[in-house]
This record gives sequence, C-alpha cells and structure tokens, in this order.
Amino acid sequence: MNKKLHFDEFLVFDGAMGTMLQQFGMKAGELPESYNIHSPALIKKIHQQYIQAGADVITANTFGANRYKLNHTSFSLEQVIQKGVAIAKETAKGQLVALDIGPLGQLMEPYGTLRFEEAYDVFKEQIIIGAKAGADLILIETMSDLYEAKAAILAAKENTELPIICTMTFQSDGRTLTGTDPLTMVNVLQSLGITALGLNCSLGPKEMMPILSQVLAYSTIPVIVQANAGLPKLVNDETVFDITPEEFQKWAVEMATQGVLLLGGCCGTTPDHIKELKKGLKNVKPLPPQGKRITAASSSTYTVTLGREVKIIGERINPTGKKLLKKALVQGDMDYLLKEAINQKEHGAHILDINVGLPEIDEKALMIQAIKEIQGIVTLPLQIDSVVPEVIEAGARICNGRPIINSVNGDDEIMDAIFPIAKKYGCLVIALTLDHKGIPKTGEERLLIAERILKKAKSYGIEKEDMIVDCLVLTASAQQEEVKETIKAVRLVKEKLGVMTTLGISNVSFGLPARGILNRTFLATALSAGLDAPILNPMEDDMINTVAAFNLLWNYDKNGTSYIKRYSAVMTKAPSSPPKNIDLKKAVIDGLKEEGTSLVKELLKNTKGLEIVNQYLIPALDMVGEKYEKGEIFLPQLIQSAEVVKKAFEVIKEDMMKNTENKEPIKKGKIVLATVKGDIHDIGKNIVKILLENYGYEVCDLGKDVPIQKVLDTVEEEKVSLVGLSALMTTTVKNMELTIKALKEQYPTCQVMVGGAVLTKDYAAMIGADFYAKDARESVKIAQQVLG
Amino acid sequence: MNIEKTEVLRYLGYNNQNIDENTNQLLHECMTEILDIMKKNYVYDIYDIFRDENRIFLKNTTLTTQSKDLCHHLQKSDKCVIMAASLGLEVDQRIAYYSKTHMTKSIVLDACASTAIEALCDHIEEEISKKAEKEGYYMTPRYSPGYGDLPMTLQKEIAKVLKTYSKIGLTVNESNLLLPRKSVTAFIGWQKEKTDDPVDKCSTCQKENCSYRNLGRFCK
Repeated sequence: MNKKLHFDEFLVFDGAMGTMLQQFGMKAGELPESYNIHSPALIKKIHQQYIQAGADVITANTFGANRYKLNHTSFSLEQVIQKGVAIAKETAKGQLVALDIGPLGQLMEPYGTLRFEEAYDVFKEQIIIGAKAGADLILIETMSDLYEAKAAILAAKENTELPIICTMTFQSDGRTLTGTDPLTMVNVLQSLGITALGLNCSLGPKEMMPILSQVLAYSTIPVIVQANAGLPKLVNDETVFDITPEEFQKWAVEMATQGVLLLGGCCGTTPDHIKELKKGLKNVKPLPPQGKRITAASSSTYTVTLGREVKIIGERINPTGKKLLKKALVQGDMDYLLKEAINQKEHGAHILDINVGLPEIDEKALMIQAIKEIQGIVTLPLQIDSVVPEVIEAGARICNGRPIINSVNGDDEIMDAIFPIAKKYGCLVIALTLDHKGIPKTGEERLLIAERILKKAKSYGIEKEDMIVDCLVLTASAQQEEVKETIKAVRLVKEKLGVMTTLGISNVSFGLPARGILNRTFLATALSAGLDAPILNPMEDDMINTVAAFNLLWNYDKNGTSYIKRYSAVMTKAPSSPPKNIDLKKAVIDGLKEEGTSLVKELLKNTKGLEIVNQYLIPALDMVGEKYEKGEIFLPQLIQSAEVVKKAFEVIKEDMMKNTENKEPIKKGKIVLATVKGDIHDIGKNIVKILLENYGYEVCDLGKDVPIQKVLDTVEEEKVSLVGLSALMTTTVKNMELTIKALKEQYPTCQVMVGGAVLTKDYAAMIGADFYAKDARESVKIAQQVLG
Repeated sequence: MNIEKTEVLRYLGYNNQNIDENTNQLLHECMTEILDIMKKNYVYDIYDIFRDENRIFLKNTTLTTQSKDLCHHLQKSDKCVIMAASLGLEVDQRIAYYSKTHMTKSIVLDACASTAIEALCDHIEEEISKKAEKEGYYMTPRYSPGYGDLPMTLQKEIAKVLKTYSKIGLTVNESNLLLPRKSVTAFIGWQKEKTDDPVDKCSTCQKENCSYRNLGRFCK
C-alpha cells in the first residue's frame, strides 16, 4: 500500500503542464506525453519548478497517454506512462506522484461510438501500467462526461488500491459539455467511493465560485479545485490567461475558507501561481467536508432528491401481467420499452423502475440492453428491479448515474449478496420489511426488520441516507385487517428511523373492482403518514391527481403554482370525440394522428382489424406513396402519414391481443435494418423502418453503429432473408461493404438493400449490394419484390 | 442568429409543394426549438501558411496536408484559419427523443439543425472576417474535409490542433465522423488580393446524384 492521503492539512497540487510545454515551443497538435521520451529533462525541470513552488503533489505527464491518442504514433503506451511516472518519481522529494488520467477524447454511446466497456478497458490499461510504475494516487481529471468518469473510476477501483481523485470541468452555463450539473456530479462520484472530487479547467476561479458552492453544499468527501488562470483570451493570435499569481492566491484563499481541501492549478497557471497559492493557505484553517447527506438518485444530467415533495417511481416497465410488454421483451423490441419509459416521464414520473425478469429470456443481457436504451433517450434516474444479484450488478455497472436497487429484505443471505454491489457502485437500496419468515403482521414488527436491515447496511458502509424502506402493501381483498398496519409501519419507520420510504401502491386493490378509488385513497393516506416516493402507474390520472393535490395541501407546491398550471388547462379543454366529416383514409393522407386513432377505435367496434388494414390503411398509404413519388407532397408529409398508420396499427394490435387469440394483424416477413459500424446517422434508417412496418413487415432494428457480427447473428437467429443497411459518409460505406461481404459469405441467399447520402446505384452494386434504395418508398418496393 | 425557412425546406427536399397548416406549424415550432437548444460552441485559430508543391503546412502546428484542391483554394493566402463549430450534444439527444415519439418532428428538427450549424458557421466567419479586415486581408470561403480531394482523415488532425474536445466537446470517431453530429470544421484562407466569387460547393461535392442538384435549383 502506498502513502495514504490525509486531510488535516491542505494538499497543494501543481499547475499546468501543457502551458509550460507551449512556452518551451510545443506545437499545436503535438502529443505532450511524447516529451517524456524525447525531452525528459524538460519535463523534469517543470516538475522541479512546481516542487520548489511548494506543491505537495506533482502530476505525471500522462494526461493523454491512452490507446486512442497514441495510436498512429511511434510510442508505446507502456513506454510513455512508465517514463512519465518515473520522471515525476525521481524528481519528487517526499512529494506524492499522481498518475494523470484525462478523457479519451471520444464521445460515448449512444451519441458517440465509444462503448462503456471499451472505455473501461482503455482506462484499465493505463491505470495498471501507471500503478506498476509506482504512482501514489490516481487523478482522473477534466472529465466532461460522467459516464466516462465512472468507467475510469471503476477501472481504478478494480485494478489498484490507490486513492482516486476525480475532477470534472464545467462550462459557464453551470453544466459540463455533456450536461451534468454539480449536484449530479457530487451525488454520483462520491457514492462511487473515491477519496476526493472537484472541479478543474475551462473556467477561471471567479467563474467557478457558483458551481463550487453547490459542490461544497453536498460533498461529504474532500473537495479539490484546479482552476485555470482566468478565461482564455485571444490576443494577437495567441491564447493568454490573465489572472496574476496574486489574484490567483486571493481566490484560492477564498475557496479554502469555504471548505476546499485540495488546491492546484490548470491551464495558464505557472509555478508562480502555485507559490502564491501555497503562501496564501498558511493563514487558513482547513475545514472537514461539510456537505449535507441527502437521499438522491441521479441520471447523468438530473438528480431526484427524496424527502420534500412526493417523488413518483414509475412501475410500468415490469412484465408481470402485461402481455404486450412480455412479447416485446421476448422479441427484444426496445422501441416498446422506450415508449413505456417516455410515456411515464411525460405523465410525471421522476424515477423509472426497470424489471425485465422473464423465465424464457437472458435477464442479464436484457437488463443491460434496456438500461442502455432507456438512459440514452430518457433523462430520468433508474431503479434496477430484479431478484438475481448478477442482474442487479450488471445493471448497476452499466447505469449512467446513481441508480436505486430494488431490493433487499431482512434475509441475511440476500443482504450479503446485494450490499457489496450497492456499496461498490454507489447505489441506493430499497429495503423490504420482510424476511425468511414472511411479512410480519404488525407495523412494529416491520419496524424491527427495517432497523435490522439498516444496521446491517451500516456494517457494509452504507448509510441510512442511502436506504429507502418499503413497508409493503398487502391486498385489501385478502388481508383486509393488515392494510392499515402498512400505514402504521410507514409512520413508525419515519419517526424512529428518519429514513426515506417507498410503497408499491396498486397492490392494495388487487382483485377488487374500481381499483382507482382504492389506490388513490390508500396513496393519500400513506403520503400523510410519511411516504416519500410511491411506486405507481403514472398513466393513471387518479394517482397523479392525488400526488398533485397532496403537494399543494402539504405546502410543497408553493402558492399552488404547479397545481394551477396543470388543472386550469385541463378544465378548459373540451372532451374529445371522434371527428365527423372525415374518414380514416383522409386522416392518413392528411397526416392527422389523433383523428386517425379515434377513427380506428370507432371502426373497431364493427370492423375486424385486418379489414381496416386492407380497406383503409394500405390503400391510403399507397396513395400517399404515389403522391410522394410524383412530387405532390414532400418528406415531412409522407412521414406524417406514416405516423398515423403506425399509431393505427398499435391500436389494432392492442385490440387483437385483448379480444382474439393473440394473432397479429398481418405478418409479411422479417427484415433486418442497421446503420453500419462507425456511423451514427440513423434518420434515414428510421424513416425506412416506419414505412416497412406500415406495410406489415416485421423489422428487427439493430440501431446504429452496428458491429458486423451482430448483423450476422440476427440474420441467423431470426432467419431473415432481407437486410437493409444504411451509411451516410464515404468513410462508413467501407464498413457497409465489409458487412455485405460477411453476409454474402455466410448467408449467400440473404439479400441486401442499401441506402445513404453518398450512395448511387453503381456504387451500391460495386460494394456488392443486391438493391439500391434511393429513398424509403423504394425500400418498400424492394421488400415487396423480395418478400411479397 | 436566424434560421432560414427556405434552407430548412431545402434540406427536407422541398420542391414547391403545397405546405399544409400542420406541417407549417411544425416547421415553425422546430425553428424556434433549435434556437432554444443549440449551443454556439466554436473555436478557431489563425496560422501562417508554408507550402511546397502539393503540401500545406501551418506554422506552430503539426498540421500538414497533401491536397491539390486545398492548395488551390489557398493558393493566394498567407494565413489560414482553422475553425470548428458544434451545436452540442443536446441537439442530437432531442432529435433522438423525437425519433421515438414523433418521427416527423425529428426529421424536421434535424433539418433545422443542419440549417443552424451552417448559420453558426456564417456567424463565426463574420467574426473572423472583422479580424481579417483589420489586418488588411480578404477571406476565401470555408473549405472542409470531404470537399474535393481534402481527406476526411484530416478531421482528427484538426481536432488535435484546436483541442476541440476540451474546448467545445467536439470529437472525431474511428470512421472520421464528427460527433456531436451537427458540427463542422473548415479552413479559411486570408489573402491580400480580393477573393473570387464563392466556390460552387456542388462542383466540389462527391455526391453526383444529389436530389438538390437534380432539381437544378440549389447550385450556383
């Protein structure tokens, strides 16, 4: 074990390396880490100057020493990192040496092509070399992307014992470039169990102050600041930073007085800045971390804090009793899951519970996929709901943010399996007040179990602020006399333990008619007993209305602002009825979604779904398609119509699932669609998809940046005979060609259609495609030709 | 900054069709929304040019490129600006969100974003041209990787030289794609001699079957 950090004194870090190298003539675009090899004396000199200035920690010149940046250079990763750490170590006289880990410079999935697992591997490689070379601590710095920071922290935690410090860089709008706010950063990073967290780069000390005050308000671990020497300015074609060492000192003293324990400099700072900083700190007394402990779940850009107004946990993503969701999960239909997620968000959910447990599927793989898809589109924090520890761990690892684990109970075996996962990944945990003997009858007994769980959690280093207690709702139809025991338990847990609470509301009404009445009444009672975050169906107005009313009555919704905004609009809106004077065909042609939906519902009363499809939808689609081909309408109008048809199909499908023998309206054959590896432009592919689905084809949408193997596997598993590939740029058409080649080798009878901005008929033929689809209409014709 | 409706329509392949009320409303909604969510992230720097036969070097940078077309474009320039601009990640996120809830809107917003990044580039160009003017220079039009023979692989070099990741969050992936998607990099030459008419982008574009070109209305 290396030298341990302690914080009875301030810890002073060095200042900029890049700025210093530029002074010595480094060119723009040069790799600063290459100086470790060709100019080690210069690096040593810079370290020496910082040591003389009084730095307690010097940062090895390894910021950008990663696989991506060293690619296409003549230097090896080992060489650059080992040498960087070695120079720092031989210069240090008792000072600590930090292994410097900067961002990889790639955008992460789903908006970029860097996968979380890949980022982890790249960091792991760097960290293992750096730790072996003898670094004393790991400084993960200048992070813009919280997800990337998490990958780096996990790589450090799992591969070394060294203290980890992590800083992120904020813009003047108070967020990082990928949208993380200070509270979210603190909530996620400190729960990952690092030594210190904080801010660096981008801003000068003055601009950092408002961000810093939020960090200090919530951080329960030491805080570090490495500011730039002011904001960069372009003077005579050169970038300059204009805060003098004296001014820098003033700001450092101010920060230290407010509670910052680790200080250093970033771009534009020099040994003089550090010297003044060190001098200034002599007269300041270090303060231990003052941050307030809160119970909060985070996505990467949004944090939900429990304990004030009611926070709703959406329960819809759970296959129990939901035929359509079950089917979607079995088929891997992520769009259905996303629709559920989006709908819940738009109806007022703050957190989304995700349960994908079905006996016939690989729950772990599906949990990972579901979390990746949902967190890419919906910005709400997630709740990982499973009974399998392995699934929970996989979910907690891949989640971008701080999730909730649902759940543990008083059973030691379960706690011993789940608490280490929660601790490692910094999750909140729901504690069910039951154990191997079942659910106790009385509120008092449930309190005892809650107490026992909290005690055990504490022994794993999990505080009560990281726990949410669920006192369990029983069904009034079966255990009527115990329903009020739940309410009593909530009150007791709140009073005696001061911990946050949750309940799955709708259980109470199971097996009884008019469930909404029971649910909303029970919810209101539980809320007044101290329920903080009910798990419920946000699509039920009764639930949402009760929450809105409670927030007003309990003085959370000040002046009833939200309430009035919400309900004054509702009261004036006329009830909708099926439109007159317009038939379904016209609704499709004119792109009227709501009218189309209500007309389909109306028609379904007397007409079979299949008839509606054949007599109205398909003929209307054909007409729209013809108009588009003739240039009478343009793209948005075509897609508008396609959306009406899509919605109509959904209504028909639901109706068929409800009323008949689970039969699909029409099934014309499966088609795989993918935007090829390396490319993330998927609009064209999405347009093709909606049209193909309109015509009854089942589309396996593999998304964007799709590896070749994934296309092959799907063709194999789904027995597909038509694949559609899309690529936007000349550079990614290469991957399209490789995909086609692999497909043709393994599945010679499988046909391929391609499309994308730079393709032409000849180009498509040249790369081996069977068909070129110049637009989405064309792809329908190709499908009709191949699949009928 | 303004979003030109005619430009948005151009990206949507518009050719004088009747625009119904719904579509029109959607267009205006998206034109407002893009201004609301876009960032005006940009970075540029000005460099002295050195050259030999087919190569261009920029002083104090690692950047060299062997491109006849860029050489031609900068033939009379002493200095060269490299610029990078990006609307930021939220634009990509919003377009993806709508692709799951309202496909038409996602397509229209995408077209608005394409218009907006061009408008942002024009805005930056204006800022740079004021500097050029002060120093007695005229500017060539923007010239980006992918035009003519200027290779896409140059995107990575530009990103390194301008430090686009740390400054504006702009990255280049293994396939030389700029991410976030709505981003642009470009060279602008500074020359003492008055510049010719703007380049005809179509004549240097590799996409020969482009529908705009086929319509014959959008090129010079």
